[in-house]
Amino acid sequence: MLRYKTFNRKKTMTIFVAVILVMIFLMGRLVYLMVFCSEYYGKKAEDLHERERTVKAARGKIIDATGTVLAANKTVCTISVIHSQIREPEAVIAALTKELGIGEELVRKRVEKVSSIERVKSNVDKETGDRIRAYGFSGVKVDEDYKRYYPYDTLASKVLGFTGGDNQGIIGLEVKYDAYLQGTNGKILTLTDARGIEIENAGESRADPVDGNNLHISLDYNIQMYAQQAAEKTLEQKQADSVSVIVMNPSNGEIMAMVNVPEFHLNTPFELNYEVPENTTEEEKQNLLNGMWRNQCINDTYEPGSAFKIITTAAALEEGVVSVNDQFYCPGYIVVEDRRIHCHKRTGHGAEDFVHGIMNSCNPVFIDVGLRIGADHFYDYFSRFGLLKKTGVDLPGEAATIMHSKENIGLVELATMSFGQSFQITPIQLVTTVSSIINGGNRITPHFGVSIKKDDGTLVQTFSYPKTEGIVSSETSDTVRGLLEKVVSEGGGKNAKIAGYSIGGKTATSQTLPRSANRYISSFLGFAPVENPQVLVLVVINDPQGVYYGGTIAAPVAKEIFEDIFPYLGIPYDEKAAEELAE
Amino acid sequence: MSRRPEKREKEKKQIKYFDYTLLFIIIFLVGFGLVMLYSTSSYNAQVKFGNSAFYLRKQLLASLIGFGGMFIVAHVDYHIWTRLSGLAYIAALGLCTLVIFAGAEYNGSSRWLRVGGISFQPSELAKFAVIIFLATIISKIPKQIGSLMTVFKILAIVLPIVVVVAVNNLSTAIIILGIAVCLLFVASPKYGQFLAMGGLVIGVGAVFIMVESYRAERLRIWLHPEDYEKGYQTLQGLYAIGSGGLFGKGLGESMQKLGFLPEAQNDMIFSIICEELGLFGAICVILLFLLLIWRFLVIANNAPDLFGALIVVGIMAHIAIQVILNIAVVTNTIPNTGITLPFISYGGTSVAILLTEMGLALSVSRRIKLEMV
Repeated sequence: MLRYKTFNRKKTMTIFVAVILVMIFLMGRLVYLMVFCSEYYGKKAEDLHERERTVKAARGKIIDATGTVLAANKTVCTISVIHSQIREPEAVIAALTKELGIGEELVRKRVEKVSSIERVKSNVDKETGDRIRAYGFSGVKVDEDYKRYYPYDTLASKVLGFTGGDNQGIIGLEVKYDAYLQGTNGKILTLTDARGIEIENAGESRADPVDGNNLHISLDYNIQMYAQQAAEKTLEQKQADSVSVIVMNPSNGEIMAMVNVPEFHLNTPFELNYEVPENTTEEEKQNLLNGMWRNQCINDTYEPGSAFKIITTAAALEEGVVSVNDQFYCPGYIVVEDRRIHCHKRTGHGAEDFVHGIMNSCNPVFIDVGLRIGADHFYDYFSRFGLLKKTGVDLPGEAATIMHSKENIGLVELATMSFGQSFQITPIQLVTTVSSIINGGNRITPHFGVSIKKDDGTLVQTFSYPKTEGIVSSETSDTVRGLLEKVVSEGGGKNAKIAGYSIGGKTATSQTLPRSANRYISSFLGFAPVENPQVLVLVVINDPQGVYYGGTIAAPVAKEIFEDIFPYLGIPYDEKAAEELAE
Repeated sequence: MSRRPEKREKEKKQIKYFDYTLLFIIIFLVGFGLVMLYSTSSYNAQVKFGNSAFYLRKQLLASLIGFGGMFIVAHVDYHIWTRLSGLAYIAALGLCTLVIFAGAEYNGSSRWLRVGGISFQPSELAKFAVIIFLATIISKIPKQIGSLMTVFKILAIVLPIVVVVAVNNLSTAIIILGIAVCLLFVASPKYGQFLAMGGLVIGVGAVFIMVESYRAERLRIWLHPEDYEKGYQTLQGLYAIGSGGLFGKGLGESMQKLGFLPEAQNDMIFSIICEELGLFGAICVILLFLLLIWRFLVIANNAPDLFGALIVVGIMAHIAIQVILNIAVVTNTIPNTGITLPFISYGGTSVAILLTEMGLALSVSRRIKLEMV
């Protein structure tokens, strides 16, 4: 046998040494990777393994002036199945079919689908979710979630608005105050394998959700209810298209009620509140939904008609072109340029002073007064009273005033404007402007939002709203209030009269365009008490059937509301006024 | 060691030697390998086969067969292999040729022969065959090894098997060539020609890479794994290594094995060791392999004859090349090429034949004649 020689050993040793050197180099490489690059690669790996799961924050509540919750949250469940974890598919299918009340075929399809996770049904109420959880099936997941819930469903639907699937406001206050209500979703960081399946017992880090803040609004549940009932009754009796009611505090612009019947169901906002033919397309249906969601008090304009005479009066008094005792004569019409404009009383009111002019709502009187002011100045008062700008109400989609441009106002336009025709404003604009005139001359901003509070009552923010002082003098304001009291006590608004209360107001009947359609809007605007107005109500009845005079059909509605809310608001019963009336 | 003329005296003073250190290291490595394999493969096994011990069971079975082979080979006089070496070489060549035409395909290359329910990787056998075949040839003509001509002749003899293996499995072909070169290097008294040869290989390799765009792409992936889709495995391996840190995440705590690092139990198992056991554990594993290689050095240098020594040198070269290449690939020190980590990576044929090979080394160690001093 041949021997292994010394040089062989040396060479073996050479190989060994070479191996050691290479190994040392590789160890150095490992040190570099695992010490110096550890943070870099570790972070990258972590990014790869971590999955973020959001925990929904509860949306803030909407709470009215009495503390009643108008928009809250309900816990709902989402039922999902994880195919790989299901042990008893048949039992799961049977149980889910029974509990969820959906077809077995559908459940089977979901359960037997080979996917990591499959949603069976969402928006399942909590009780059902709890029952499903109680079965204890492996592979069936019950995830809790919040859903917006409106306890009174139709109450103030067009004011409150509703939310979409991502907790975002879609219309109404829900949109306007979305940022306050939303809150911040929390996060759970979990580790998952490459297929995205969470690893049990892996340490999870979480950021807790921050619930949304509560919105406190000036709307009063009780007043809203009274107003809504009155409006619904009228809607039915008069077979009107719609009835809107605004109840506002004229001194600060806080809206206590805003009704637009027919209201819709906030808990099912995507279902029309009337029947539609089955062949309605999705697009048509969406348009109908958009129509249903409209807040007529804010989104729609109309010709205010005679109610606007309040504003003409204020302008004339400010301008000093009329005093309450000025004498007028109404032959039943007035000729402006080549046009003969009729009074609503074709036979004419005859000789009357300005007080009776407004009590009778006499068009020729106001045309005369309007002409005395002149187009330029009248336009300026429009601007000064804030009629040309939006009111700034805290609801989305406020419509702007539709108005002649200054240079286009001829005598005929001026004449029609002076009794509330040939231009259009929103009901909220009318209410705001009249409030500003009767409250001593302070242009207020109508609003709902009062404050933002945390759920434990901690105040986060109080809203303040712009107020323009001195749009009319307090004397003018006094005079207008006095005149309007006469309208209710002895004039066209006497259907709103309530013994023991001093009420001011003005009726209006406006014909909608085109005039040939013979469609009317009847309205009444009233406030009380006259000396110190605390509440102002506007009732607008859109296209009533039969009698359409505002004084006949709208004033009684306001009266009904007044009767309900005066004691509630603590407006003092005036013995003297009651006696005077009795006499 | 000087030869003692008196047989009687020799028998008297001889002590039966067996390299228990080597045996212990082997058993430890296999045991450690099985633990790491289970840790690494249980997720993939669960996902693919619904049985987390799927890979472990197969590997355990192969290890037991391997230990059986080791026991038998260790107790057989290794000189028997001089007579079987030619046969072994031809058989390996035949099987490697067969696999090209009748191999079972897996992951895009057909490296397995399937007989009944057992699949078998002939290229693993080729390494073994080349070791004993070359050891036999060289030990028969030790005087001529010095000449360059003989070196080339011997290389020419192994060339067919290298080419056949290279068709499916370039990495293994490189290992076989490496083993052959190491054997020649040890057997030859010269250094210069090997240095020249090394230089030539590097030069040819460079040209080879320049010419073939496929190789050049591999090179670019190697330099910037994050920019290439094919660099995914390398990059995931680096994530695993890097997130291990000094002491690792703890046994079984690897995240990368959960499907992020594909087929983690094969070539990339070392990166999972790094992730779970940290730098500390990784260096321990390297040191363990160094210890193993050191034992081969000791056995080779004390072997009773050239044939035995060459066998052990071949085994040493085999283990060293595979460990170095595997760790170099895993740490992205060299471009990616599929080489398993001996005893630890999943692979039944590999572990069974490696253990049998260890038996051969142990068999050589048993012939070492220690003398009483």
